[in-house]
Amino acid sequence: MLFPKWRRVLAPLFLSLLLLISSCALKPPSPYAQAQQESTQRGAQPAIVKNAEQGSSFNRFFPKPGNGYERVFTQEKKGFAEAKLKKEGKDLAMLAISDTISLPSASQKFQTSSQKISGYPAVEVGNTQTAVLVANRYQVKVLSRNPAFTQNDRQAWIQKFDLNGLSRLK
Amino acid sequence: MSKPIFELVDELPTGGITVMALRSLDFVVPGQWQNLVGFNHTIQTVTGETDESLIQQIGERAVHLYNDKSQGYQRALWLYQTVDSASGALGAAAMANKVGQDISFLGFLGNLTPKPEKAQSIDLCIKLVVELVAFCQINGIPGDSIGDFLAALGDYSGESLMRMAALVCFDGLIPLGPDFILKGLSTIQGTSPAELEHNQTFQGVRDLIPGGNAAGQLGFITQSFDSVKGWMGDFVASRGLTPETVVDHLTQFVEISKDKLDYLGAFMDIAVKYYSHTGTQTLARRLIERAVAEL
Repeated sequence: MLFPKWRRVLAPLFLSLLLLISSCALKPPSPYAQAQQESTQRGAQPAIVKNAEQGSSFNRFFPKPGNGYERVFTQEKKGFAEAKLKKEGKDLAMLAISDTISLPSASQKFQTSSQKISGYPAVEVGNTQTAVLVANRYQVKVLSRNPAFTQNDRQAWIQKFDLNGLSRLK
Repeated sequence: MSKPIFELVDELPTGGITVMALRSLDFVVPGQWQNLVGFNHTIQTVTGETDESLIQQIGERAVHLYNDKSQGYQRALWLYQTVDSASGALGAAAMANKVGQDISFLGFLGNLTPKPEKAQSIDLCIKLVVELVAFCQINGIPGDSIGDFLAALGDYSGESLMRMAALVCFDGLIPLGPDFILKGLSTIQGTSPAELEHNQTFQGVRDLIPGGNAAGQLGFITQSFDSVKGWMGDFVASRGLTPETVVDHLTQFVEISKDKLDYLGAFMDIAVKYYSHTGTQTLARRLIERAVAEL
């Protein structure tokens, strides 16, 4: 034998080490890889379309604070406005209005709904969300941020938005 | 291309010096900061939703929003990251300055680097303004509205409140002492636009500071700091914060010998990247809050 015994062991050892390293390097693709590619490729559709309504025009339709409830506006972006509903310093829920013109699937989900709140098509989403669609375009959502804030509370607070005013927004 | 948002959130560290330094400030803002990491975990925690396909949809919408450059999220993250790395460079310069004072044959270094206290004061003011500008990029309140920012400061919580606690403690109390607010304000008032242009932290972020030119930007920085000084003063007084209490807690978490306190501020500048870390967390939370509401 030309090679001592330890050298014969060396080659398989290195090979298996190499396999081990390369298999560690091959991460499984992220579940968001496709969304990443779609939104960064040339000519990608922007997340918010040009003719979306300004978030500032939504603010006046939000429920008014009072009776111990605080309302803190948290976001105001194109096509979106959001406020936090608080009581005694605790977060209860998020209140939001968005323009579904940028995200047609958001308005499509109402098509199969038979439920209505204040005459507007309504849906429950997940465990924490109640939504209505106004003027076939603007989505109003209340999202629980506290287990004590139930589906009934969400439905009650959605009716405190000025939904009719929002339906006339031009 | 910059990193995808889900990778940035997935890769946030769960340990290391930044995380330990922030944990040491739990006594300042008890229970406010849990070091939320991982994109899906953040979605679950922020929204309270558990259904996998819903979480996937929320995550995808967040990815789309983040990648739409017109929405300002990438600029906000750039600000958080840049103010950390630029002030790290300041830390390195300050360290060289300290060495210059201690060792005579390196004395010439003292001429090359700014006086630490002045540089630290400007640094503090700029970091505060970066918070204001990044807040507006993320949440969209028009770029120079200091009043809205103040109303929102009152509602700061979680990682945003922790970032402000770290600003007060690591960039105020430790390097500048108990009267850091006065020092910061008098320094920025006594700074010329030309001096401001030489500050490395400012150079890093100047493109996104409102004001047009250096003189206008200096005015904006001064006005912003002046408006927030009351909030900072209350923050310190209501918690009885002193440099000593902060250092005491810090040394329980991070190995620093107390006889090297002179170097502590400079060391923190280089080693602790709290703006990037908590800024990524703040950005992820706001993106997810918007994504779930829009779906």
